[in-house]
Amino acid sequence: MWSLTRADASPDSPVLVVDDRVTGASREVLDVGVGLGMPRREAEALAPFATVLVRDPGDESRRFESVVHTIEDLVPRVEVVAPGLAFVPVDGAVKYYGGEEALARRIAGEIRREPDAPGWVSLLGIADGPFAARWAAASAEPGEPLIVHDTLAFLSRLDLSTLRESLGGEEIIDTFRWLGVATLGDVARLPRESLATRFGTHGVQAHRLATGEDHIVNPREIRPDLAVESTYEEPLEHLDAVAFAGRVLSERLLKGLRMAGVAPHRVTITAEPAVGPARERVWRSADPFTERSLNERVWWQLRAWVEDGGVRGGITRLRIEPDDLSGEGRQLGLLQDESSRIETERALVRAQALLGPERVLQGRPQGGRMPQERVAWSRWGEPDAARQRDIGAPWPGTTPKPSPALVPPRLQLLEVEWDDGLPVRMRLGTRWEPVLTWSGPWRLSGRWWVGEKDADRYQLVTSVGAFLCVVANGKTFLAGVYD
Amino acid sequence: MGARGLDGTRAPLLELETRDEGLFHLRPGRITELIGVPGTGLTRLGLSLLSPHSRLAPVVVLDVRGWISPEAAWEAGVESSNLIVVRCQEGHLWPRVASALLEGVRALYAEVPPGIRDNDLRRLGALARARRAAVAMRPLAQRLPAGVAHLHLRGLGVTWEGADRGHGRLTRRRLMIEASGRGMAGVNRRFEVDDEGTDTVRLVSDVVVDQSGRIAG
Repeated sequence: MWSLTRADASPDSPVLVVDDRVTGASREVLDVGVGLGMPRREAEALAPFATVLVRDPGDESRRFESVVHTIEDLVPRVEVVAPGLAFVPVDGAVKYYGGEEALARRIAGEIRREPDAPGWVSLLGIADGPFAARWAAASAEPGEPLIVHDTLAFLSRLDLSTLRESLGGEEIIDTFRWLGVATLGDVARLPRESLATRFGTHGVQAHRLATGEDHIVNPREIRPDLAVESTYEEPLEHLDAVAFAGRVLSERLLKGLRMAGVAPHRVTITAEPAVGPARERVWRSADPFTERSLNERVWWQLRAWVEDGGVRGGITRLRIEPDDLSGEGRQLGLLQDESSRIETERALVRAQALLGPERVLQGRPQGGRMPQERVAWSRWGEPDAARQRDIGAPWPGTTPKPSPALVPPRLQLLEVEWDDGLPVRMRLGTRWEPVLTWSGPWRLSGRWWVGEKDADRYQLVTSVGAFLCVVANGKTFLAGVYD
Repeated sequence: MGARGLDGTRAPLLELETRDEGLFHLRPGRITELIGVPGTGLTRLGLSLLSPHSRLAPVVVLDVRGWISPEAAWEAGVESSNLIVVRCQEGHLWPRVASALLEGVRALYAEVPPGIRDNDLRRLGALARARRAAVAMRPLAQRLPAGVAHLHLRGLGVTWEGADRGHGRLTRRRLMIEASGRGMAGVNRRFEVDDEGTDTVRLVSDVVVDQSGRIAG
């Protein structure tokens, strides 16, 4: 594993790659104390000199593809977890290459020579299970594989924060710390029954990881009819068509699995091109794949193959095969309706297919003085956009609640007639409406350092409703309608 | 928000509870039509109707103008993590997008752009019934064709409190709403709805029958 930087990052300037947390950083940034997984805001405070770039998993996956291909030339059946992190079952290969260390060094050497990844250094770890191997790799020196001979002893020294990815939350980790449990060894020493009673499935999962049992994922017999595939008379060459086909296929797969009451921890994606051999890739996940997570993985993989020219002449057949099926469900909130959520996600994917992903949006509250500023928009199904304005800051002079229900994306010019600084009437469509009453002006201090002028805000009330207006440079603009 | 009858008389409690269920609550398989010009408070009312559903599953706003603010929805009680906004300005795509959403979403607030054919709207009504989706529709121009909506809420007017010739700020509004349709069992009723901007819609007291009569549509 290693942190992938953004392809457009300048090699000469310090760079920080983030989503909500740090996913990659250049050496200068790491040297000032920034660590992978650190909250974005904390990292920005430690390294204000760094250029901050937002992570692009699709692009990372495309660039990671050549590395996976290199590993596959040495050891078959590489399992990709995320761009930058892959697992390789090495039991058979160890005998062939003459030992774990020899194999690990061979892989590291081949990656170093990989022409599409100049200068990249891999972190390699070998241990008894995926979780231990992942953290062995994270603990390894660049280019120097870490071979763990005693997995339990290695795990027992790990900090609790290593559970964050697998448990998907901080709450249980905070509780453990509060109880004086600091390492995975401490967790392993606790009775599993007590953890199950106190923390439910998350507690049991934490104990399994701490005792090195994560490689047992409750495998079941795979019925052959659960795999799905489609063949295409016209080879799929364009990304849009490939994305749509992948989405349809993964929806079909999960629908069939749901009927059988199981969910996959691992899927094998196979694409047969019009010219050349079929491409195959295994993706795995600690949690059973959901519709959204499977869609993402299939899309990343197909995009990587298409953009790298790995499927020459277009795709003629697509197949997704589930593996490591588990009947484990997810603990829902008391009133949550999971079937509605799945149905809704499917409907939204269809809406995205019709309108494009940038038109299906989710907002998050953020700080700001104007209604336009107080929503951080992000595309639905993608990581939340970083908040540009701190929601916890005081924001003096913010426009008071209630908020207008209709907010134009940009201020709209509005005709308002003033008499000695007092609003008299405003033009709504083709007619003039008298202003019955108003509040304001409230001063809005502009950011002078970027050339913004000061402005005044008014709430104008007419017989057909109330409006939030901004007056700047002698002109009046509509900022919201209290509809 | 709260509502009371225009003549101030009090209705029996039992009647209040049963009527409450059908009025400011989106019911599965039913369409509520919100009628009125911008400014009558119907966007906020429509968003607040999504609030109880958002506690159970994601809810969707189909935004034609691109102006709907999630902040107002959050203030009206909609869970921010369960609110998704779909923007569709193209009239020719709108029926397909709306039907795709109705196939899966539990509750939908949809602005209806001008020029949508009656047949398309009737099909969407049938789809909402078949999929048991709870829907609020806000036509931006013409009304929904007869038979599509189960309940019609017409905004008659709005009065604001708090602002006074430069002093204070907008704090509270009163919407005058007329409810009609099959959901009202043929009885037209008028309500005054208090909105203090930070609460979900609920009927609190004094619901009365203002006028009655059979209705068509």
